[in-house]
Amino acid sequence: MSGLGVALGGFALGSACPARALAATGHGQDVTSAPQQQDSQLRYPFHGLHQQGVVTPRPASGMLVAFDVLARDRDDLETLLKILTERIAFLTQGGRIPERDPLFPPPDSGILGPQIAPDGLTVTLAVGDSLFDDRYGLGDVRPRHLQRMQGFPNDALEAARCHGDLALQICANTLDTGYHALRDIIKNTPGLLMVRWKQEGTVPLLPPAPGDVDGSARNFLGFRDGSANPEGDDAALMDELVWVGKHHDEPAWANGGSYLAARIIRNFVERWDRTPLHEQEMIFGRRKVSGAPLSEDGPEGKEQDVPDYSSDPEGEITPLDAHIRLANPRTPETAGNRILRRPFNYSNGVEANGQLDMGLLFLCFQADLEAGFITVQQRLDGEPLEEYIKPVGGGYFFVLPGAQDDTDFLGRSLLAATA
Amino acid sequence: MKTIIPKTWLAAGALGLVSSTMTLTTTAHADVAPAALVGPVADYKLYVLDNLEQLVSHTEDFTAAVQAGDVDKAQALYAPTRVYYERIEPIAELFADLDASIDAREDDYEKGVEDPDFTGFHRLEYALFHDNSTQGMETYALGLMDDVNDLDGRVQDLTFPPQTVVGGAAALMEEVAATKVSGEEDRYSRTDLWDFQGNVDGAREIFDLFKPLAAKEDADFVARVQDNFDDVEATLADYRLDADDPNAGFESYDKVSDADRRALTGPVTVLAEDLSTLRGVLGLN
Repeated sequence: MSGLGVALGGFALGSACPARALAATGHGQDVTSAPQQQDSQLRYPFHGLHQQGVVTPRPASGMLVAFDVLARDRDDLETLLKILTERIAFLTQGGRIPERDPLFPPPDSGILGPQIAPDGLTVTLAVGDSLFDDRYGLGDVRPRHLQRMQGFPNDALEAARCHGDLALQICANTLDTGYHALRDIIKNTPGLLMVRWKQEGTVPLLPPAPGDVDGSARNFLGFRDGSANPEGDDAALMDELVWVGKHHDEPAWANGGSYLAARIIRNFVERWDRTPLHEQEMIFGRRKVSGAPLSEDGPEGKEQDVPDYSSDPEGEITPLDAHIRLANPRTPETAGNRILRRPFNYSNGVEANGQLDMGLLFLCFQADLEAGFITVQQRLDGEPLEEYIKPVGGGYFFVLPGAQDDTDFLGRSLLAATA
Repeated sequence: MKTIIPKTWLAAGALGLVSSTMTLTTTAHADVAPAALVGPVADYKLYVLDNLEQLVSHTEDFTAAVQAGDVDKAQALYAPTRVYYERIEPIAELFADLDASIDAREDDYEKGVEDPDFTGFHRLEYALFHDNSTQGMETYALGLMDDVNDLDGRVQDLTFPPQTVVGGAAALMEEVAATKVSGEEDRYSRTDLWDFQGNVDGAREIFDLFKPLAAKEDADFVARVQDNFDDVEATLADYRLDADDPNAGFESYDKVSDADRRALTGPVTVLAEDLSTLRGVLGLN
C-alpha cells in the first residue's frame, strides 16, 4: 500500500524509549498490580515478537472494542490491517498531529491537543472466529481453539454485546487517551470497520507508599483481583501459559499470538453490599481487606500467600466451592489451566430497577483457550458467587503476533499463510 | 444480494490518513472563484423548489386521506410524500421550528408518543401503522399541511448560502449514517428505504451540481465519490419492488439483511467522510 510510507514519514514519530517502559514495571510487579503512576511519557515499543497489552502491566484504564469488518475481499482486509498497524504505531509512540487547511475537517479529534503523548497507550489487535468464515479465504488456518463464545449456565448474553470479526484492546493511563486512539482509528478506516460493541473500564490508582508490597487493584466487589496471576515478567512462564509457540500445535502463522477471552460481567453491587462480610469472604476464599487466602485462627496472612488446600481437603477453611479454589485448585493437574487476567472495572449507568449497572470487563490471555478460560469457567459454573454476578457479553479472539519492524504489519503472517 | 461493486470506494480508507499528512507539504486551498458558485447554487434552489412543490401536492393528498379516514390510502401515500422532504432536508432544517413540527420522532420528546408537542409525519405514522387508525388525527393532518405550506413560503424567500448548500451533501449522508441504516427513522411503517433513497438523491444532486468545480480541484476525489454513490444506489436498487418503476417503492426495512445493512454502512461512511471535505475542496468557509 503506497500510502503507508507517506503517512509514516509525515508524522513525527517519537523516539522509542523502552527504558522508561521497563522502569514502570518495577520490581516484582504483576500484570494486575494496582497502577501507581500516570507518566504521560510512558511509552511501550510497538515492534516486537508479541503485541503489547498482554503481559504489559495494566494501566488505570482499558477498553475492549469489537468490530464487524466491512472489507469486501482480501485486498481490502490487507489495507485495513496496514492502516491499523500504521495508526497503532503512531498513536502508541506519540507525536505531533499534522496541521490541515482549516476549511477541511481536522485530521484528528483534537481531544489531546496537537501533541500526542504516548501516555502508556497500548492497542492490541485480535481477530474473532467469524473472520475465518468464507469472506477472506482464511478458513484453513483458523487457530485451533478459536470459536464463537457459547453461553455458560449463568450467562445472559446480549447479542449486541457479543462476538466480533475483530477486537481492539485499548489501554492507557487515562480513558481520554484511549478514546482519542479509538476515534483516530475509526476516522481512518471508513468503509472497513464498523463498531459492534464497546466496553471501557478503569482500575484505581494506588499511590506508592514506603515499605508497601505491591497489591492487586480491587474490583467493584471490593476484593483484590489478580492475586495469584502468573507473573507477566517471567518470560518462560509466559511462553508456557500465554504465548502460542511451536509446542502448542497451532498453525505456524499464529506463533507469538495469544487467545483473548473477554467477558462483560455485571455485578449486583447493591445486593453484594448487603451481604455479610464473612459470607463474602467465604464466597471468594480470601480476606476482603488484605486479600490474604483464608487461614485457620492466627495472624492474618498477606495477599501473596499461597493457599494450602492439601491440608484442607474437606473445605473447612476454604470452602470447596470458593471462587479462588475452583478457579485455581493449585494441583499439578490444573497448573496448565492458569490464565493471565487483565480486567477493568466498568460502570455504565443505571438499570430500570434503579440499581447500578456496574461490573467487571474481564479480560484474560492464554496460549490454549480450551485449557485456559473455558476449563476454568467450567470449574466455576455453579459457584456461590453466581448469585451476585451475571455475564452479559464478550467474545473470544486471537491476538495476532506482533509486527516485527517497519516492513511488517499486524496480520501479515495470517494473510501469507493463505496466499 | 449481489455485491459486485467497484472497489475504488475503498481508497478513502487509506486516504483519510494520507490526505492528513499530505497537507504538511501542500496547501490544498482551492482556487474556486465565488462567482463560479452562483450557477450551481441557483440550480440547487430550483431543485429544492421543485421538490417543495411536489411535497405540497403530495401532502395535500396524504392529509386528505387521513382526514377522510382512509387508512389504506394514507398508509400508501405516507412514504411517497415524505421522500420529497428527505431530499431537501439541508434546507428544510434551516427552519428548526418547522423541522421539529414536521419531522421530529417520538424520541425527541420526553413523553414520547404521548407528548402533546409530538406532531407531523411521524405522529401520523404511529397512528397509521401502529394503531392502524386515523382516529383523532384530523388536527395533526391539518397541522402538517399548514407547516408544509409555511415551509414552502419561507424557502421561496430564502437566499441560499453556498456553504449551506455544499455542506448539505455531507449533512444528508450524516442523516443516513445516523438514523437510516439503523432503521429507527420509520420504525412503524418500515419505509426507511424511501427516506434513505431521498437523502441519497438529495446529496447526489448537490454533488452533481458542484462536480465540475470539484473535479478541477481533485479528480480522484470526484471519481471515488461517484463510485460510492453508485455502490449505495446499487444496493438500494436490489430492494426496489419494481426495477423499472421508481414510484413502486421499496421492500420493508425488515427485509434488509444484516449483511446488506453492513454492506450499506461501508460506502455510506466513506461518503460521509469524503463529502465532509467538499466545502474544503471548493475553498468554502
